[in-house]
Amino acid sequence: MTETQTEATSAEGAELTHRGCPVVHTDYTQETEIFGHYALLDPDREKARFLFNDTTDRGFFMLQRYDDVREGFQQHVTWTTDVRSALRPGSSNERLLPQDLNGQEHVKLRRILNQFFAPAAVRRMEQMATERCIELIEELKPEGSIDFVAEFAIRYPTDLFLALLGLPVSDGDFFLEWSEDYFNALLAGRPAEATESKKKIMDYFDQAVNDRRENPLDPDLDMVTRLVTARIDDQPIPQEDITTICLTLMLAGLDTTRSALGYIFAHLATHPEDRRAITEDPSLVPNAVEEFLRTFPLVIQAGREVQEPGEFHGLELEKGDVVWLGVAQANRDPRKFPEPDEVKLDRAGANQHLAFGGGPHRCLGMHLARLELKVVMEEWHKRIPEYQIPDGTELRERGGQLTMTSLPLEWDV
Amino acid sequence: MHIAIDEAKCMGHGRCYGVAPTLLHDDEEGFVAERGQCWKVPDELLGEAQDAADACPEGAIELLEQAPA
Ligand code: HEM
Ligand code: SF4
Repeated sequence: MTETQTEATSAEGAELTHRGCPVVHTDYTQETEIFGHYALLDPDREKARFLFNDTTDRGFFMLQRYDDVREGFQQHVTWTTDVRSALRPGSSNERLLPQDLNGQEHVKLRRILNQFFAPAAVRRMEQMATERCIELIEELKPEGSIDFVAEFAIRYPTDLFLALLGLPVSDGDFFLEWSEDYFNALLAGRPAEATESKKKIMDYFDQAVNDRRENPLDPDLDMVTRLVTARIDDQPIPQEDITTICLTLMLAGLDTTRSALGYIFAHLATHPEDRRAITEDPSLVPNAVEEFLRTFPLVIQAGREVQEPGEFHGLELEKGDVVWLGVAQANRDPRKFPEPDEVKLDRAGANQHLAFGGGPHRCLGMHLARLELKVVMEEWHKRIPEYQIPDGTELRERGGQLTMTSLPLEWDV
Repeated sequence: MHIAIDEAKCMGHGRCYGVAPTLLHDDEEGFVAERGQCWKVPDELLGEAQDAADACPEGAIELLEQAPA
């Protein structure tokens, strides 16, 4: 009897609609086994073109297909980053730059920052990035068994981030603890719990920025020098905006790169044919990077807030609605990428993925991230071509913005 | 075949000049240096032009059979 009742309720539930969209209650913020989130996201995409998800206070309208998500990123005049994450619309209380700006204000700041993240700038970093990567790998190699996530994947981008700010990479030893503490609290929606770490981080940035005011470097090559000397509409950039930019780069660049490395190495550890292909022919690496970013998107969504009522392919949106731009669902949309679950190192068109977003807010650090992933894949396999995940390991991933909680790897020494 | 790059649509993903290094180039900010231009593609670079148009996630690159009026 109870069974029939439950069925009736769930059938009713499935028919529930909000402004014409089927309503879903999928919670994407919980920790699951590895790939548990794609197992939720992929079926949701196939339920209907647009869904309304009611798991947050404000709820959100979900765009999930490749073409829709791509077009959504381009609606930047009417859909703004006043909400950055559909899952945490309130997180915009914590200011981020350039993310929180829109329109011309955003363009002006991006113009200053872009040149330090463009391919030309990233090429200037390549030698340093390679040397640092080799150092870290050589340090770990004799151990023969590590947690790849904690001992390598987060350390490497942290070191490069510090180098980008012109700070000593050795500061990573203490900086990492603060950034982890703050990031985790922010992601859990409880930034107040990490006020102490945030203060340490901001003081550290403040000091670094002041130091550069006193000892400027070449503003064409050094980002902080450029930020302290730049003018936007004839005004200098306020100190707290500069430190907020540093904080944003930290929040946007460290966890993401760690996550990408984790998924890549989890795949390669369990797919010897792909691992050996890369070791034997490193020219496969650049396309492999794109294919991994496509198959294992870790920023699963970007949020937007609707500023002007309007229609999007039949979906009626009102001012104040929250829109979910389903990055992960777009990257794994079979309409765009046939057999989307399969990693094909030489997939044609892999680089059209939306893992870095699109439109004016497209990831500032994309070229740096690509370099980091490429360098690690090349240098690691030159030194440790064979490795595995210990038998019996259960791999898990954090929700919200995906990352593996740990990845034990072992190899013969 | 002509190639036209829409200046307003180009967001600097850098995929076009990555796959078409002879035809297209990057500027200091990471945008394609040739944005806003339309020109005739030399025959030997038709493959690159197609790759570039396919790679751009913003749909900023258009290939035209005819030179625009
Ligand atoms: C694999 C690694 C990475 C992935 C998957 C990734 C993904 C993304 C995505 C999807 C966005 C767009 C968000 C939106 O439209 O609301 C974004 C924006 C951004 N990313 Fe990344 N990112 C990565 C690495 C990095 C790195 C290494 C940095 C810097 C050091 C960085 C800095 C930024 C910044 C500053 C923004 C905001 C840009 C703006 O609003 O103008 N990211 N990223
Ligand atoms: S791929 Fe498209 S958006 Fe990116 S630089 Fe080329 S034209 Fe511009």
